[in-house]
Amino acid sequence: MTNQLDKTARAGRASITRRKLLKASAAGAALAAFPAPLIAQTKPFAGVTLHGASFQHRFFTLLQKYIPEFEDQTGIKVDLQLSAFPVYNQQANLELSSGGSAYDFVNVTFILAARWVAAGLLANLDEFTGDPNLTPAEWNPKDFVEGAQVPYRDAKGATYGYSWEGGAMLMGLSRMDLMEKRGLKIPKTFAELQQVCAEINGTDGVAGITSFQLHHWNLPPYIQGFGGNIFRKPPGDIMPALNTPETIEGVEFYANLLKSAPRGVLTYTEDQARQSLLTGRANIFIHSSAWVTPILLSDESKVKGTSRVVRSPAGPVHDHPASNSQGLGIPKNAKNKKAAWEFIKWALGPDISMRLVKEHGHSSVCRRSIITSDTYRKLNTVNGQDLGALYLEVLELPGKGENYMAYRTVKEFPIVGDVLNKAFEQVATGQLPAKDAMNAAQDQAIAALRRAGTQL
Amino acid sequence: MSESGIDGERRRFIAWALSPSLIVLFAVAVLPAIYLVVTSLTPFQLTTPGSATDFSSPLRNYGLLPGDPRFINSLWVQAKLSCWSVLFQVLLGMLLALLLNVPSRFVEFARTFFLIPMVLPPIVVAVIWKLIYTPDISPLYYAAQALHFTMPALTSSVDFALTSIIIADTWEWLPFTFLMVLAALQTIPDEYSEAALVDGAGTLQIFWYVTLPFIMPILVISGMFRLIDSVKAFPLIFLLTSGGPGTVTEVTNYYAYLLAFDTNEIGYSSAVTVVMLLLVAGISLGLVWMGRRREAMA
Repeated sequence: MTNQLDKTARAGRASITRRKLLKASAAGAALAAFPAPLIAQTKPFAGVTLHGASFQHRFFTLLQKYIPEFEDQTGIKVDLQLSAFPVYNQQANLELSSGGSAYDFVNVTFILAARWVAAGLLANLDEFTGDPNLTPAEWNPKDFVEGAQVPYRDAKGATYGYSWEGGAMLMGLSRMDLMEKRGLKIPKTFAELQQVCAEINGTDGVAGITSFQLHHWNLPPYIQGFGGNIFRKPPGDIMPALNTPETIEGVEFYANLLKSAPRGVLTYTEDQARQSLLTGRANIFIHSSAWVTPILLSDESKVKGTSRVVRSPAGPVHDHPASNSQGLGIPKNAKNKKAAWEFIKWALGPDISMRLVKEHGHSSVCRRSIITSDTYRKLNTVNGQDLGALYLEVLELPGKGENYMAYRTVKEFPIVGDVLNKAFEQVATGQLPAKDAMNAAQDQAIAALRRAGTQL
Repeated sequence: MSESGIDGERRRFIAWALSPSLIVLFAVAVLPAIYLVVTSLTPFQLTTPGSATDFSSPLRNYGLLPGDPRFINSLWVQAKLSCWSVLFQVLLGMLLALLLNVPSRFVEFARTFFLIPMVLPPIVVAVIWKLIYTPDISPLYYAAQALHFTMPALTSSVDFALTSIIIADTWEWLPFTFLMVLAALQTIPDEYSEAALVDGAGTLQIFWYVTLPFIMPILVISGMFRLIDSVKAFPLIFLLTSGGPGTVTEVTNYYAYLLAFDTNEIGYSSAVTVVMLLLVAGISLGLVWMGRRREAMA
């Protein structure tokens, strides 16, 4: 990437002609004579204050360091309001659905993207990217990883958001030393995963696997791995499919797997799970790369020397590791749409993305050119492991062929996801056999969807 | 000026003096409650335009409630949580007050110490108990391990999850009943117990025939307050169990929270909340009526 930029710069210098120099001199003289109007022309949005909102995330904390540069370049003031995740989602839901114009740009939350897009609450960003006066060719919307962009498109393929954060499910193993001692290899299938977890559990005080209480994120890859799904065929057919034999098998498998987890894992938070991995108290953690790769990258990790990060195991039917992304979009009723686009263009441009990677090690960007750059690869290759390649591979999967993550972005998911959470806990704690729990869950999910006005 | 004129003037003055507070009270308490009732008559969902003003089937949400197993279960969980926690708080509060009702500097310090949980913000209480109940970091579990005793994970166990909430709630609110009973104990004239002692009554008899009748009204009142307040165990449930495992600790207000904030069913959630409001109001009125009847009989 750097080499390419250097080449472009050299090419640029070589193409400077006498005529161009004269033109530049004339322009310089004109600028000296009439400075104010021209400066005003270069800052067409001077004086505009943009109001934006998102949930608190490291990306925005880092971005805030660069925002003064954007304000200097454009004359736009940026008022960015960051709240806790559930608080933000409620605020944004209310603001967008009531047709308000309080925000000029918003985070398009992954789990809400489909309903916001379907309800027509966001502006079509193709109008901006399709206009060369508003978006230079170098910005290249196609540079965003396809899998990360899928949630922000409508049925016709129009784009309503650009992703700033990607989450790709990977498997972290903290105690390869223990595994090697026991002659165990990195599990590549569900069956091998089950075996490794069971054999390691209790050895040297280490739990076989760790997880956390967001079951409707952790569980679906197992359900899909056995050939099941949350809905029959989302996004078109959203009839819940919680009691199919494949889904029941997935639920049973994951409940069994958690028998090798630390006590109390059902109420673990993500932080608790991460800590148990980083301190080597649990051997395996399967979650988004940002939560797993710290075993190799973080100073907190006590298991750097014995850790590996790999693809999560494949099921007997499908290999569907979960992935997600978060996007930036513009509300349909925003007052300053063009200025908001300037901000999104800047915040997700190649320059800022690369600086986030280089200066802060923020690796979960969604621009392919950045992820595949030498700089990114150099920073994210640890003990010979190219973490960027793994991240990109998983992030791209839903964009290739079947969008198996569609279940999570349909507007019915929160209702069915909540029912699934409860049912899984009933199975994992032995309150009900998987078949009974999932039959009851299917009935409850249908009843809850109908209560919410969904036609099934 | 006639006496009734003075009364009228006084009444007008009181009305004027109270009116700012009443206006504020109306704005912050009554209006939202009215809005809650209005919303409960709609199928309001944030992402369904027009649903907030759709009154085409106003009793639909209420009609669905009896057939909703999670709602019925949540009422049952709430009843168990309220009854057990109030019982423990009243009994333990009374016991503690009886033990600490002696003039001593140490006891005075101990009384102050016991009040701490009640003045802590509820979320801090929940965090404290989260630490206590988390097996891999809890001193409780380290102690059990040292004694070669394997404790189950309390908050994710079907058998102990609700009990763990009851224990934490009792710890938080025990000081309230303790303080009330202690104040009542200090108003009992010494002569009664001294006379009973002279008549040969034992400690238990003095407690049963002298102390208990004196503190009984306070026990009932503090129990009533705690019963009404017990529906507010939300922070403990939110942080310790998230209503789980399954629906073992899912009380009605947590279910209403999930409906409104997780699944966006604002209208249905409002109906659940209105029913809860009516139940709490009913219990409160019942207890007030019982108190008045008791006073009238006395």
